[in-house]
Amino acid sequence: MQEPMNEGDLSLDINVLRPRSVEKKTLSGYFMPPRHPFILFDPQKCTGCGTCEMICSARNTNRVAPLSASVQVLADERSGKNLAILCQHCRQPLCIPACPTRAIEKGSDGIVRINKLFCTDCGLCTMACPAAAPLKDPDSREIHKCDLCEGDPLCVKHCPETALTFTRGKAFRWIKGLRWSVQAISFAMLVIVFIGTFCYFKAGNVAFSCPAGTLQNIASSGAIVLVGISSAAALLFLTILAGRLFCGWICPFGFVLDLVDKITPKKLGWPSFLKSRMTKYGVLAGAVGGSYALGFQAFCTVCPIGTLCRSYGVQSFFKSAELAIVPALASLEIAQRRSWCRYFCPVGAVLGIMTTLRLIKIVIGAKKCKKFSCIQCAEVCPMGIIDADQLREGISPRIPMTECIMCLRCLDRCPYDAAKIRFRWQRTAPEEDGR
Amino acid sequence: MKSRSDKIEEAKRVSGAYGCVECGRCVAACPMAEMYANFSIEMSPRGMIKKTLLGYPVVEDKNIWYCTECNAGTDVCPQGVSCRDLIRTLRGAAVADNLLANAQICKCCGRPFAALPVENFIRGRLKEEPPNVRELLTACPSCRREIYLKRNT
Repeated sequence: MQEPMNEGDLSLDINVLRPRSVEKKTLSGYFMPPRHPFILFDPQKCTGCGTCEMICSARNTNRVAPLSASVQVLADERSGKNLAILCQHCRQPLCIPACPTRAIEKGSDGIVRINKLFCTDCGLCTMACPAAAPLKDPDSREIHKCDLCEGDPLCVKHCPETALTFTRGKAFRWIKGLRWSVQAISFAMLVIVFIGTFCYFKAGNVAFSCPAGTLQNIASSGAIVLVGISSAAALLFLTILAGRLFCGWICPFGFVLDLVDKITPKKLGWPSFLKSRMTKYGVLAGAVGGSYALGFQAFCTVCPIGTLCRSYGVQSFFKSAELAIVPALASLEIAQRRSWCRYFCPVGAVLGIMTTLRLIKIVIGAKKCKKFSCIQCAEVCPMGIIDADQLREGISPRIPMTECIMCLRCLDRCPYDAAKIRFRWQRTAPEEDGR
Repeated sequence: MKSRSDKIEEAKRVSGAYGCVECGRCVAACPMAEMYANFSIEMSPRGMIKKTLLGYPVVEDKNIWYCTECNAGTDVCPQGVSCRDLIRTLRGAAVADNLLANAQICKCCGRPFAALPVENFIRGRLKEEPPNVRELLTACPSCRREIYLKRNT
């Protein structure tokens, strides 16, 4: 007599039959970015001739029927501009979870393809696509999808105005390596070699001091010393020239925070009632007022940058009790990236006030990038100032330079060179209208 | 103006429902089985064809709104019955009679463009996406293109 079969043996569950492939993170992927192909569209050049539609439909359906093409050129009657809508080959495509038969897959080369074996032409992918990329052929009611002609797109080849360009993005991210080495060198210099030079340093006529410390010094001593102001001016001048470059590239505590961030990739989130970037100006005011009331530089005794820099070298690195403030504040990193810099750091607050006189700005031209299908810049931004929601809607996000620490991660990460450094007064092209 | 019974008759004729041999191949191929936990003969293509042929009140039936209008059933049918055309004609009759309780109305143009259960399925699958992305699901694809065009020009 045959035994009754287990239910597990007979399982027709799609999770068992065809499980979703999970993307693995590799070491080489960390150093060399995956070069996913993509078609960029330039609205300035497009004349709306429709050659791309014709050539695409000729390839897909063997006849010239522009409505059946996987690329559609739309014309805005009011502004007179054209826009080509085509599959963006998103980083996290919405069509993949929407497909009930799991026919859509993103290959390891970054091209999103439909497996015709499983596709039932139901059109749920069309409903899920935020760009409403053309998928369903209105004639035959079949699903066609742009597969970038397997890496050699005909629409790009045949566009007479070269409005479409085929790109694979950057091959090498060099700013990353430069920033990490500059951070490491300045950490070694400020913390280990020239101990205490960040807080105050004087050699002959050259003097340098921390601007927040100088403010507290003025408040506590009640005397304005010209040398003190001029020595603090060095960092403020750098801020006017290049934004809060200090925070992103030089600050030794920032380097510690970036290292801690590397070992805590999963963030717990920051309580929303503490989510005010104005807090750091309050901390600055409290530090100055406290110094005035107490008669000594109140905040400097607990300042994480100061405690690091004044920790008396390698020998007594762990002897100094005030160093305990560094791991305590660095542990805030498990809540959000650079939580201390975002919300509390009074040094950053002084530099933030100085950026009102800034010379440069960072622009992200959303018209030239993949928008909702990429948003890598918003993901890598350690200060979280790039508005992912605006990018999803195709608007160039305005970047508040008082918060930007000029780490240039966005420039480094953007595969399409949409993030750029510009002078403040420079009129950017209309497609980069973020200021 | 066609009456409702005329439209049901037309649906039977257009889809070739009279040829149905109730083999059940369309049920095996139907993606609704993967989508809904309550998939049953009430909702399945074979059940719908049977109900239409037997004269049940199919136009008022909620079950016509679960279909994704895919082509899988027609592809496998030995008799060439198009369950998609049947459902589409029945839905047309329901829309003409203003039975729109289970249709998704486009928020921009006010046109019924999809079925609510199908939309709910997609919404459930995309529940981790931010709300401004899911909001787009309430706009029909052509209106969505208009929105996309307006944002980008």
